[in-house]
Amino acid sequence: MKDRQPTGTGENAAPDQSNDRWNDKYPHLGTAPIPIEPYISREYFALERERIFRNVWLNVGRIEDIPHPGDYVVAALTVCRTSVVVVRGKGGQIHAFHNMCSHRGNKVVWDNAGRCRNFTCKFHGWSYGLDGRLTFIPDEQRFCGLQKDKLGLTPVAVDTWAGFIFIHLDPNPVETLRTYLAEVVPGLEGYPFSELSATRFCWRTEIKANWKVAQDAFQEGYHFPVRHKASAAAAFTSETNPYCHFLSLDLYERHRRTSSYGNLDYTPTPVAGMAYQFGSSVVVERGLAMDNLPAGVNPTRRPDWSIDVFWIFPNFSIFPSNGTYLTHHFWPVSADRTIWETRTYFPKAENAGQKFSQEYSKVLLRDILMEDGTTLEHMQDVLASGAKTHMPLQHQEICVRHAYNVVEDYVGFYAGR
Amino acid sequence: MPEARLPEQFRDLEQWIGWSLETEGERSDRRQASAMEDITAFYEAMLARMEEVLPYLEQFSLEELPDDAKRLFYLTLSLAEVAPAVEQFGQPSVVDGYDIKRFVASHR
Repeated sequence: MKDRQPTGTGENAAPDQSNDRWNDKYPHLGTAPIPIEPYISREYFALERERIFRNVWLNVGRIEDIPHPGDYVVAALTVCRTSVVVVRGKGGQIHAFHNMCSHRGNKVVWDNAGRCRNFTCKFHGWSYGLDGRLTFIPDEQRFCGLQKDKLGLTPVAVDTWAGFIFIHLDPNPVETLRTYLAEVVPGLEGYPFSELSATRFCWRTEIKANWKVAQDAFQEGYHFPVRHKASAAAAFTSETNPYCHFLSLDLYERHRRTSSYGNLDYTPTPVAGMAYQFGSSVVVERGLAMDNLPAGVNPTRRPDWSIDVFWIFPNFSIFPSNGTYLTHHFWPVSADRTIWETRTYFPKAENAGQKFSQEYSKVLLRDILMEDGTTLEHMQDVLASGAKTHMPLQHQEICVRHAYNVVEDYVGFYAGR
Repeated sequence: MPEARLPEQFRDLEQWIGWSLETEGERSDRRQASAMEDITAFYEAMLARMEEVLPYLEQFSLEELPDDAKRLFYLTLSLAEVAPAVEQFGQPSVVDGYDIKRFVASHR
């Protein structure tokens, strides 16, 4: 057992107030209330489909999801009215295709993940290799003038960065993945994603909320002392930081990153303290050496740090902490429906104590997210009423403002109005 | 006497064997379906023994836990499951929470 039981006697320094008026740092974003329309409008949603989701790199998981040749996952890109198969080929390279038979359009894969030697359509038995080439057509001689070599599965672009797999629906995107991620790469370079991805927990839900309503709830700490009063507020707020102000943040052209304070004076509950002794947890681990974190994570190096968030446009976020990280995906389904997927990652548990610690950490995370889920559906339920047209945002909600601006830059709904 | 299902030195936990469940879904279902009184009694009984339970379990590799130790291990995972009910919410479910049945785990 490690001898690092927190005592709850740490001292929180005063938050750095010199930079917590974030609107002042980013005057081009303005300070006016933002419109509600983008969160409820079908017209806006249709533009997001065409101008955002068809035109950017989208994360569909990690390389550990498909470790062996023939392993595949299916990304249901309902927002773009397609389904994409991501598969590891025979030589280890990763391919991605529209999940659609070249014959009459049946889905070639019906489950969400699996392993296969080839893809065989369950309609007429057309068969494709892992590289997408059409390899077999039953009763082939009855077709007239078929160009078999041109009837492979339709590819989409695929590339990886730091073990994260991204796809782009344009098979020849103008922008490479590396260029697309250039703003956030320096911050995350060197983070031990591979080591920390040995153990993965994943939940999914279809929530009755617009994807931006859902995502925005995770872009500010202002709600913590109220919405998470029962669960996590004590670990993320303190006497010196009662409203969960950000420790630092950087807004980029499309992406953004934030650092949040923890609470060095937090006394864990009995089971939290026990879990802390045996492994990493976002909620209970504070003030430890940060030597194993790259310079871009908690760049201030303040000890009263808890977690960073890297928001990768449009719908993916990575929350790196000390010894564990989590991700969110918000997949739009319609203007008021979203598939919300959360994954939380840990190193391989070597013994029962570490496994217990990981179990506690993920159960508490799940319960904290249950607090968020309710709010999202209540908001969506009334946003469409028209009772109000705009929402005011404060300095500490600047990520919501930034997200709105980046989306609108792509969509152009208000341009010229 | 029914056959003992836990390692000898943890027989006092035998009455909680119903919490020895393999998956998060099963453990969560039991938490949601249990009275707070029962959850708290289980929590207190387990918490009191954890300082001995974890070192005992750590003598085995996770992949090679004997059956009785595995049942004990699953009890520790149920302690992790019920801890927020006792320590944070004071009720089995998250206060004003999202329907946990809709938050579907793809892990075990």
